[in-house]
Amino acid sequence: MSLPRRDDLTPPERDVLARAAASVPQAPEPRWGDYRAELRGRLEARRSVRARLHRWWARPAPIALSFGLATAVLLFVLQPVERRPDLAAVDEVVLGARLGLLEHYRVVERLDLLEEFDVIRQLDRLPPREG
Amino acid sequence: MSDQPEVTSDETLCRRIAARDDAAFDLLVARYQGRAYRLAWSLLRDAEDARDVSQEAFIRIWEAADRFRGDARFSTWFYRILVNLCLDHKRRGRWWTRVVTRDADRDADATLVERHPAPGPDPGEQASEAQTMARLWEAVHRLSPQQRAAVMLYAQEHLSTAEIADVLRVAEATVRVHLHRAVAALRKDLAP
Repeated sequence: MSLPRRDDLTPPERDVLARAAASVPQAPEPRWGDYRAELRGRLEARRSVRARLHRWWARPAPIALSFGLATAVLLFVLQPVERRPDLAAVDEVVLGARLGLLEHYRVVERLDLLEEFDVIRQLDRLPPREG
Repeated sequence: MSDQPEVTSDETLCRRIAARDDAAFDLLVARYQGRAYRLAWSLLRDAEDARDVSQEAFIRIWEAADRFRGDARFSTWFYRILVNLCLDHKRRGRWWTRVVTRDADRDADATLVERHPAPGPDPGEQASEAQTMARLWEAVHRLSPQQRAAVMLYAQEHLSTAEIADVLRVAEATVRVHLHRAVAALRKDLAP
């Protein structure tokens, strides 16, 4: 059972390995026609995904978008730290835009009161509590 | 002039696949499907996984055929892709297959003896041989993935230690160490 091989294994060692290979039970053989058809299907699927990706990338809009994003990131990274926009300042601007709402706080408060008043007015029409 | 039709070499087929020749791909698949599936099955011990991984190896061949440099044999390159996929598959599935297959393996142990046919003049002797083979198969399963791959490539696919080194991307001396350690482990497991 030993294998005719030129290496530093002794014949008994080769015999053990040959027996190990022989110990592999018969693999459950697939139907090769089905196997190839399945493989072909997988390959086609992979190709179509790649083709779709390729088509997507080939469109001008994604290219422009990606290029724009990459440029923005690059500019931000390359900019000296002191010249980078202060994120806290940006936050302040956003909050400032909401200050208008605070000016109308009293109106909002009254609207709440009116809503409560409406409930009070309807109290006698509410069904009596049971028990 | 010979009447025998000229057999296209694997390397030529691979070059044709690189040029997107479907017929060459089909021919190569037909040539390697049995070996690929059997080797994957020996390493993974699961028919579905073997089917999946061996098919994936063929897809990789299709995708990377243009990168085949031709400085090694095609079969070595193909085995490298296949064995790497098998090892990756085992690595990925290690944490859950241990849990899932524990019971399945216990069942398989009982059926392994039955899977090795035991007809012959002396049924007792044949049964004993079948049991030995089943134990050996279990011992092979306990080897490290690298050792098991080396053993299967050596004994089942008849690759030389240099070719196995090329497949596993290790030094030839490392392959020899793998084989020696595998032999030692198998002997230990088979000792009465």
